[in-house]
Amino acid sequence: MEKLISSFLCIGAGLAITLQLLVGSFLIGATVGSLLSILRYSNISRICTFLIDRAVSVIRGTPLILQLSLIYFSVPCVLGIRLSATSAGIIAFGVNSSAYIAEILRSGIESLAKGQFEAAQTLGIPKFYMWKDIIMPQVIADIFPALVNEIITLLKETALIATIGGADIMRRSQTLAAERYEYFVPLCIAGVYYYLLVALIEFVGKKIESKQLHVKG
Amino acid sequence: MLKVNDVYKSFNDTKVLEGIAVDISKSKVFGLAGPSGSGKSTLLRCMQGLETPDRGSIEHNGKMCFMFQDFQLFPHMTVIQNLLYAPNLNKKKHKKHDKEQQANALMRNLGLESKKHAYPKSLSGGEKQRVALARSLMIDPETLLCDEPTSGLDVATTTDVVLLLKSVCETAGVTMVIASHNLDFLTEISDRIVLLKSGKIVADIETRMHDDPINYLKKYY
Repeated sequence: MEKLISSFLCIGAGLAITLQLLVGSFLIGATVGSLLSILRYSNISRICTFLIDRAVSVIRGTPLILQLSLIYFSVPCVLGIRLSATSAGIIAFGVNSSAYIAEILRSGIESLAKGQFEAAQTLGIPKFYMWKDIIMPQVIADIFPALVNEIITLLKETALIATIGGADIMRRSQTLAAERYEYFVPLCIAGVYYYLLVALIEFVGKKIESKQLHVKG
Repeated sequence: MLKVNDVYKSFNDTKVLEGIAVDISKSKVFGLAGPSGSGKSTLLRCMQGLETPDRGSIEHNGKMCFMFQDFQLFPHMTVIQNLLYAPNLNKKKHKKHDKEQQANALMRNLGLESKKHAYPKSLSGGEKQRVALARSLMIDPETLLCDEPTSGLDVATTTDVVLLLKSVCETAGVTMVIASHNLDFLTEISDRIVLLKSGKIVADIETRMHDDPINYLKKYY
């Protein structure tokens, strides 16, 4: 029993890194993803739309582990900047997530009635306020379940940080397993931590979703 | 002043408006009649600037506002928020207070007081119509463009809308351009009616100059 508790505590120490990766990369993903979607739908220029479409396609079309390795191993060679495993992870997961969030937002914006944009235009609402107060609140309410899904996927993808040495839940469970020559218990403990986090995200997501019901017309 | 100068508009080789020229300046309530697909809504949208004519131009001065057929209220805002959001943007505190008073007066006149904090999805069709009208009036337009304001409403509510639009036109001094396929409604409310068919003007009448404007228009319908 004591061994089990010490295993839980040892692996749980990786929770801070996992949460840093999740929060940091989601903030980057949500910000960059929203900007990409808004820029794409603002019809600034055809070149801008083309570049955004290509960037999203390339990010979604290459493995996340490749993007993570590129940022962690290549950035120091190309730019001469040394990144910690956590920083590289936050950037890689954030950029990757931004492409998926941009796509989720695209579907939300496309499903919104064109009349909402036109109503804002006829009332003389400037574009910044139109996006901030009219369009985005409705789009986010519509895509909220997909966004919660993306957060859950992102959480599970943070386990890839173990491949470049980040001491998250996954890495700590692997280390403990290697030390004790026993894989079953440490990996199950890591699974329990991930599942509890996912269950928490689902719970909070459902609470928020139920409060947003009035938004859906 | 609102003047349509020889406007043409096509969508993918389908000609929707063909050489529309009309001066609306002298009318208080201007009716745009015509069957479905005749180009009424497209002409209204060109007037508002929601569509760009392929040829020709629209001349207007003063603020214009557009009332959509399906109202397009903001579903995440309450009735009062729908009314106050646009006029209160970037306004100073005392001006916001003036607008709040204007919104309260409008809601009182339109019988919406009890719905002040309701969300659009809980309103009936007639109530949504009145909120849409109040929201348009809150930006103090000189011209109000209404696209099919009676579609989807029952006979009793349509009569209410006629009375309401008439009184708004008189009290707020707003010029109205109303597109509708409902000739009874249009002759009841308009001082001039232009009938569109396949994107062209086929009749243009002053309603008070005709004994039976409905039957006259029906000949061209």
